[in-house]
Amino acid sequence: MKSNYPSMRARWSRNRIITKVVSVLCVAAMGLGVAVIPTATQASASGKTNINYWFWGESDIPGMTKWMQQRITTYEKANPSVTITLVPQSNTTIISSFQLASQSKTGPDVDTQWATLPTLLPALQGEVTPISNYVSKSEMSHWLNTNENTIGNKVYAMPLYLIGVPLVWNKKLFVKAGLNPNVGPKTWAQFLADCAALKKHGITPLGMGNQDGYFGAWMFAIYEKQILNSINQLTQGVANVGSSQAKLLASLKTMYTMLSGLIKSGYVNSNVESLSLNQGWQLFPQSKAAMSFTTDGNVLAWAKAVGEKNVGVTRPPVWGTGKLASTYDTTQSSDEFLASWSTNKAAAAKFLTFLHTTANMVALNKETGAFPADNRFPAKDITDPLAKALDKLDTSGTSVWLENDIPPQIDSNADLPAGQLITSGSGSPAAAVALWKQQLQKWQLQQPTQFTLFKKWATGS
Amino acid sequence: MSSASVSLDSNRPRAAAPTTRKVRRRRQWWPYGYMAPVLIVLGVVFGYSFVEVVHYSFYAGSIGSLVWVGTANYRELATDPQFIHSMFNNFKLLFTVPIVTVLALAIALMINTAFRGVRQYRAILFLPYILPATAMGLSFSYLLQGNGVLDALLTKLHVGFLIHDWLGSPSWVMFSIGGVIVWQQLGFGVVVFSAALLAVPAETVEAARIDGANWWVVQRRILIPQIRRIIEFFVILQAIIVLSSVFTYVYVLTGGGPAYSSSVMEFYIYQNGFENGSIGIASAGAVVLLVIASVFIALYLWVRIRAAKDTR
Repeated sequence: MKSNYPSMRARWSRNRIITKVVSVLCVAAMGLGVAVIPTATQASASGKTNINYWFWGESDIPGMTKWMQQRITTYEKANPSVTITLVPQSNTTIISSFQLASQSKTGPDVDTQWATLPTLLPALQGEVTPISNYVSKSEMSHWLNTNENTIGNKVYAMPLYLIGVPLVWNKKLFVKAGLNPNVGPKTWAQFLADCAALKKHGITPLGMGNQDGYFGAWMFAIYEKQILNSINQLTQGVANVGSSQAKLLASLKTMYTMLSGLIKSGYVNSNVESLSLNQGWQLFPQSKAAMSFTTDGNVLAWAKAVGEKNVGVTRPPVWGTGKLASTYDTTQSSDEFLASWSTNKAAAAKFLTFLHTTANMVALNKETGAFPADNRFPAKDITDPLAKALDKLDTSGTSVWLENDIPPQIDSNADLPAGQLITSGSGSPAAAVALWKQQLQKWQLQQPTQFTLFKKWATGS
Repeated sequence: MSSASVSLDSNRPRAAAPTTRKVRRRRQWWPYGYMAPVLIVLGVVFGYSFVEVVHYSFYAGSIGSLVWVGTANYRELATDPQFIHSMFNNFKLLFTVPIVTVLALAIALMINTAFRGVRQYRAILFLPYILPATAMGLSFSYLLQGNGVLDALLTKLHVGFLIHDWLGSPSWVMFSIGGVIVWQQLGFGVVVFSAALLAVPAETVEAARIDGANWWVVQRRILIPQIRRIIEFFVILQAIIVLSSVFTYVYVLTGGGPAYSSSVMEFYIYQNGFENGSIGIASAGAVVLLVIASVFIALYLWVRIRAAKDTR
């Protein structure tokens, strides 16, 4: 025992020493880590201009991210002091990521957002710096559809491309159903008649997907618009000005009744509710559905699958009687803007302007088939007859994409699920409208500042 | 000398006593010193977050533009059909707990007897548990979508009347999600129960057999009672999981749809907090979820303490 005691103590002392050494090393390592982080940041900050770009576009235009990456490589070569980090966003993160970034005032220097309210609401809250502060008027005069992101005389974001939403039909399947393959439905009555004929021949008339709620949202964008005489009817209804909300809800009920009729008649694929919009669209190139509402880019891609001569495009059939019923459904869809907290706004704006050079716009069209939102793009370069037809639809007359004019929260919490109530058959048009009403009230309660800003914007006060 | 030396000897233990006490006192406190960094981190990560969540639950708006609304968020939750529906969906999923438990126990008892390939079989059963949620979500969405793989199989088997849009129909979607939960959690249950069964002394089972107990009696009277505490622990753990950790299943399979029909409390919190930026209502939802989960966490702790006492 006696001999063991000192050795135990010695071991205990040794352990204490080892523990102390390890602790000191750990603390030193932590200290070193803390010291290293700012050093790295300082090094990058002092040497180069770093532009953090949160980008979205692939869902609209397949190949868009690759095109952007190539432009960045070219720009960085020409401007070695600039580094651009591209962070692709998904449909589910595009809005929430920027909202979170806004709360901490960190993250992107340049952000992509869906056009109009998803861009303008953050702008009204001071999170977006007008791009017109950094880009000349003469340059901006070439950009198309800037009105989608303008408040007063300030343009908040830059468009990159335009997409239209036509009705596309498969001529082969039309022939099979005994329909004229060269004439698409123009009126609602013609559309219903075509659907009936196709269904009679065992062909799914309309191929769509609503698991993510976007088919419903598209029906809102295309057909709720056709009831309205002006966008103000929608925005003031959302802002609950006077009796406008009751009128808006009544018009929504009419639209959902129409959608419900389509579903009940079996004119939409039976699994619409378990397919996402993208999955539902795939029924068309697989010749499993005769018609679809889709984007220009998809039409061109599908034409390769089913043969261009078998594809026809037209405006969505006219259903409503409002003044907006005659407008088409083109939008810049998404836009690029400068985050208010960015310390590299001028450099970022310079890069964005570079994207609009004719060479880049031509490359955008060649590589992705997208129609650039720039009047310097030589439209005569479009030689493909189908692409020409789509471009003609996109650029002729006024266009409205109604989904852009509702706050993102209302879009995701009312517009998308209300459509799902109808397509899943689990709710009536009245239930869909009740959901809208409840969500409008909830938004007003939960986002009082946003609501006030929106109301000011909607009423022009 | 002699007496002095005796006295010295007799004094030695008394002289040593304060040193021992000091050492003991030191030994009593130094473990807390080691734990301190972790406790501080936990305090900051969980304690601070908890206080902040409760604090935010009394506000509306987003961070940077918060407006004090008192208990309005809680009143809103009480009347919000989406939240109430989400809460009921969590409760509906509690039905998966007995299913997972019974199935996992049955499988664990069956594979408890050593047979060729038992390890591989156990590994296969555990595989779903470690599959990434995205892979699982993609696979099951193809399997369960209307006119998907399952429906095609049912058609081939001439039982077309069973065909449903498993994820797209509000009447079926919770059954589908419940089924995926059972499928994934089953492997975990089997592993937990198998480990517990392996710890049962072989002599106990042997003694029962010598006394004439058949296979069924051994399972029912010997093995299951021996792992009772583990079963209780597993049941409560599963209940906590289906109440507060099923977000992934809902997010990857249905996104809460169609029309909120498969939303659960976590999804509601995520949607309001992250998608809408309505931090107040999301925080209030989180507080409610925490209160409900706390009941099960308390039960879990009670079971653990009881089990520890039994072991002693």
